[in-house]
Amino acid sequence: MPEHKCDCENPLVPGIVEVIDIKDETPDVKSFFVRSVDGGVPFNVMPGQLGMVSLMPVGEGMYSVSWQEEQEYLQFAIKRVGLMTDELHRIEVGQKLGVRGPYGNGFPVEECKGRDMLFIAGGIGLAPLRSFIKYCFKHRRDYRRIQIIYGSRSYNDLCFKDELFDKWPREQDTEVYTTIDNPEAAWDGHVGFVPAYLEEISPSPEGKIAVVCGPPIMIKFVLQSLEKMGYGDEQVISTLEMRMKCGIGKCGRCNVGSEYICLDGPVFTLAQLKKLPPEW
Amino acid sequence: MQILSKSKLNAALDLLSRQAELFVPLARGEESGYYPWKSYQAGSDQLMLDALNVMLPPKGVVFPQTERIYSFTGNDKGVEIKESFENHDPRIIFGIRACDTAALDCFDDVFLTMGYVDSLYAARRENTTIIAHACYRPGDNCFCAAMGIDPTEPTKADVIIRDTGDAYIWESKTDKGDKLTAALSSLLEDREAATPEMQAFKHQVDYEGVAEKLKDMFEHSIWDELSQTCQTCGICTYVCPSCYCFDIQVKSWGDEGYRFRCYDSCMYPEYTQMAGGHNPRGDSRERFRNRFLHKLEFFKERYGKPLCTGCGRCIVACPAGIDITQIIKQIKEADTSAGA
Repeated sequence: MPEHKCDCENPLVPGIVEVIDIKDETPDVKSFFVRSVDGGVPFNVMPGQLGMVSLMPVGEGMYSVSWQEEQEYLQFAIKRVGLMTDELHRIEVGQKLGVRGPYGNGFPVEECKGRDMLFIAGGIGLAPLRSFIKYCFKHRRDYRRIQIIYGSRSYNDLCFKDELFDKWPREQDTEVYTTIDNPEAAWDGHVGFVPAYLEEISPSPEGKIAVVCGPPIMIKFVLQSLEKMGYGDEQVISTLEMRMKCGIGKCGRCNVGSEYICLDGPVFTLAQLKKLPPEW
Repeated sequence: MQILSKSKLNAALDLLSRQAELFVPLARGEESGYYPWKSYQAGSDQLMLDALNVMLPPKGVVFPQTERIYSFTGNDKGVEIKESFENHDPRIIFGIRACDTAALDCFDDVFLTMGYVDSLYAARRENTTIIAHACYRPGDNCFCAAMGIDPTEPTKADVIIRDTGDAYIWESKTDKGDKLTAALSSLLEDREAATPEMQAFKHQVDYEGVAEKLKDMFEHSIWDELSQTCQTCGICTYVCPSCYCFDIQVKSWGDEGYRFRCYDSCMYPEYTQMAGGHNPRGDSRERFRNRFLHKLEFFKERYGKPLCTGCGRCIVACPAGIDITQIIKQIKEADTSAGA
């Protein structure tokens, strides 16, 4: 049957961007800075929202936008874990990519205003949280005390080191705690897993919102720790990940219960998560 | 009322086939499904208007098994979207039953509501006219009424036909239906005919309260037993008129290619397999549970109706004899007191 060219907007067709910079974050995480070939960002995102990135002809993958710098660029920090990301890690500055979005609900940046913020991340889980952390610093007066607890397998695997060790600790009323899984000769910081370190630091739940992202197993333990420490279900926010294809709540696979991570999530409060099956 | 005599059926189908691509239920070799009337081969094909359900549902008319989204050229120098595809060809589905129109109703919910309109689906759907065939004699595996469907009044129909023995009552329901009625005016007669009598359902199913009960049954041991024989072959999703899950894949040669979508199945482990290894539904029990919860609970929570329309195809197709009506029954009977 003949297929006609159409003028209407197909949400599954990406816009084209150019990679204007690539930065090695860790041995297996790179940041890709992209700008629309027509200039500017391909779309505006709120912290925690997602973008579907395609590398022709290899594939398409959903990644959180780790930062939007005004109308200059979108930054995606992407870990090399499979076929698509393996190829992505081989591209060079100047490469053209497809990007569509923004997808998902993003973090409740408005509702968190006036609160103390506690960010808890593991590994590449800092990538989505970083957009919220940087948003808080950009609108510093809207948020109160900021605490960041972040852990990775090793020192090398800690993402965004310049911010973690240099920029963020110098921000007003801000504490950054880092930990790695196993001791290393050159590391004099904390050693141990994130949930245990969190309980050690034991930030008081009073007036606080906790935002959590990391591997599913870390999230599950951190949520338990926070509950133990007295955090209420509305005080805890997490951002989830599932395999995604369409990004618009149609293709089916990213459901947790009757919710679609790409559309209704990826950000959920613990109160919302408790109503959903633990299938993530 | 308007009547289409069965002696004029072929003439009517020929006429409709000149208006648009006309899909009719046919038995073709060992398969049966909705095929273009213009591909009908007397002798090897058999028109299946009297069969309650052909094996393959008509969903492919509005949601093809594979469908191109866009074509591109791409290499390390540049990327260009060449063409974005959309199909506006007029189509008619003839003889579709109420269970299958109800499934299209579910498709409309998924593809046309909740934030985004799927333009590929919308283009095909808008240009599709539905001539539905009212059912009065439920088959052995039919249970549409239990799922809230009136088999004699198919929803989403532009025309409803009702079999009176030697003729069909022809009822136009929409403007689209009126257009086809006008096109067929030379073949339609204006006379009275008795509406057929509704026969009793042979298969008694009680879905009442199942969606609500399932809310507390995610961790129930019933899923261990129920899923034991499932081979996760995915045939149930393929023959299901309301299963819509799809994959997006790429086909490329040199610097050119196109991205397309195709049917997927929640029964396959790859469906939720993430790069890096994590799979939230890695074992068959989890996939089986998700499929039935989606059908009987999740979809109803989201769209207000179950994602099963009682057509009974999966009951016939399943190589392991898994029967969704038995599952509904066992859910109804399950002990959900603490510890069960």
